[in-house]
Amino acid sequence: MNPAKPTADAKGIHGQVLRLRYDPKQSLVIDEQSLSIEDGKVSALIGPNGSGKSTLLRALARQLLPDSGSVILDGRDIATLPTRELARNLGMLFQEHIAPGDLTVEQLVYHGRFPHRRLFDSLTEEDNAAVEGALRMANIAEVRQRQLGELSGGQKQLAWIAMALAQSPRYLLLDEPTTFLDLAHQFDVMDLIRRLNRELGKTIVLVMHDLNLAARYVDYLFAMRSGKIVASGTPAEVLTTDTLRRVFDVETRIIHDDPLQSMFCIPVGRAGRSADK
Amino acid sequence: MGIPLQTTPNPKIQPMTWLIGGSLAIILLAAVAQTAAGAYDMTWRQAWNALTDGHVWRQPAMLARLLLGEAFAKTLGIRDTEPLATPTLIVWNVRVPRVLTGILVGVNLAFSGSIFQAVTRNELASPFLLGVSSGAGLAVVLVLILFPAWGPAIPFIAMLGGGLAFLLVYLIAWNRGTSPVRLVLGGVIVGAVAGSFQTALFFVARDINVIQNALAWTVGSLTGADWRQVRLIAPWSVLVVVLAISAARYLDVLLLGDSTARALGMTVERTRFLLAVVAIAAAGSAVAVSGLVGFVGLIVPHIVRMLVGSAHRHLLIGCLFAGPALMVSADAFARLIAKPVQIPVGIVTGLIGGVFFLFLMRRRREVGRP
Repeated sequence: MNPAKPTADAKGIHGQVLRLRYDPKQSLVIDEQSLSIEDGKVSALIGPNGSGKSTLLRALARQLLPDSGSVILDGRDIATLPTRELARNLGMLFQEHIAPGDLTVEQLVYHGRFPHRRLFDSLTEEDNAAVEGALRMANIAEVRQRQLGELSGGQKQLAWIAMALAQSPRYLLLDEPTTFLDLAHQFDVMDLIRRLNRELGKTIVLVMHDLNLAARYVDYLFAMRSGKIVASGTPAEVLTTDTLRRVFDVETRIIHDDPLQSMFCIPVGRAGRSADK
Repeated sequence: MGIPLQTTPNPKIQPMTWLIGGSLAIILLAAVAQTAAGAYDMTWRQAWNALTDGHVWRQPAMLARLLLGEAFAKTLGIRDTEPLATPTLIVWNVRVPRVLTGILVGVNLAFSGSIFQAVTRNELASPFLLGVSSGAGLAVVLVLILFPAWGPAIPFIAMLGGGLAFLLVYLIAWNRGTSPVRLVLGGVIVGAVAGSFQTALFFVARDINVIQNALAWTVGSLTGADWRQVRLIAPWSVLVVVLAISAARYLDVLLLGDSTARALGMTVERTRFLLAVVAIAAAGSAVAVSGLVGFVGLIVPHIVRMLVGSAHRHLLIGCLFAGPALMVSADAFARLIAKPVQIPVGIVTGLIGGVFFLFLMRRRREVGRP
């Protein structure tokens, strides 16, 4: 092992002074931002469209190389990690998925074992066990032989999460996993994410839009606006009328619901034009 | 390795059995027709007798001389053998090697197409569309017309030409990584340029025989294929088949998109490049022995995918049989339809390919959708 500069808090993902852009000719999407993803927690990036949430998430998974700054994963700079090793520690799912329509759920989930197998390796007991575990965890074992093309959006999303799960990573990064789903499947996905965190101890980072789902399921929030992290903390700390006005330009009312032990943000209008006062 | 089958029987097994069985039947039928018919006509029984002639099969030395070549057999110290009967001689020296060459060319083109379709994530990709065939073709025509003395090195020159063309395509497509669409566009550019140069070369040539030879070659033909061609292409076929089937999982994961492939731990650019090298070796060696036989690399993977699905272990195994079936039957047709004139096989595959694609586009609306 060759540990890159040990940080004070070795566990977790630490983005340090990241400058990010997609093309050297374009302006920076993220300008010198730092964040720490705490080990064992569910964290989420929230913010309006174009605020740089997905960009930041991609950088944490080395899908986008920073102009400057670094990402430290469990005390090691991810820039120096072999691709396979990174994939065994960190899985990432994107907003849109590409796959042949005739790929079966089971075949897809087996692709999750890719970083654990070399060119001529055949399947091991460990591979099979990881796939079985992922299928069961995501509750899609009954549709394992179905083709992706025949599944509903929600089941498809669960299948992709199962694939990332079969990777057996400690960290799971998901870019808007609930955005295109109906309400019931949004809960399926968020419940799965919670179980992955509570039962398997996965550290999870999400990009999400639905503040109420975030309030209920997420331990720690980063609120972004124009490429900057403008607020971070627990949902109770971040989801305030004040912060939401700064981040989203909207007026909201926050309601605490005791039986659910959660809170709800009700948007009431655009900030500055308050019709409500 | 690959896709597990232990839980329930795989629904693709049935079509696969039919595909392999059907392909083998077509190959056998075409091979027998090829063996019996031609300038020296024989009955099927005569052809069969020549094929099973004990003078060939019972003499390892004879087989060795045919397979390895006269010169190489001599250096190995393999003794001379008694002369063969005329039908046997024709069957074994002319017709069998032609069928074998067709089989191997079919395998190589189908594999090349399958690999290119995966690495560019484009079902319309083929060694042709990506400029590889045109590059190889230009290199070969260059040799035929300007440097005829380099003739023996044609396979390597073809691969080199194909490789250079693909490198050029890659450079054109590169913009902090490549994308399937940019690769295809680069292929179209390089293919057009290489094609122009190739045509220009015909005007440079003085000798009409050379032109005719080169022309037959640009259409793609197995006329005159003998054991030398078999020996040229066979090692490449074996290499390509072994490498591609072992890399089936890599091809599958590439179909999930670059980002997901990277997230799964693949070094995408390096993998894509190495797989492309395998596909170039396949296409280049095929081009070297048969010229520019079009459409096989495009339609065989399509047909096989429709039957057994897009998982590459199944797709490639299917191509191993369907590629030769198309190639050998097209060649039999090309050789026998206008007897005694032999049409280049590339014309037949072009016709079949064009019609098939028309059918495909009318029937499956999703073809060509982004």
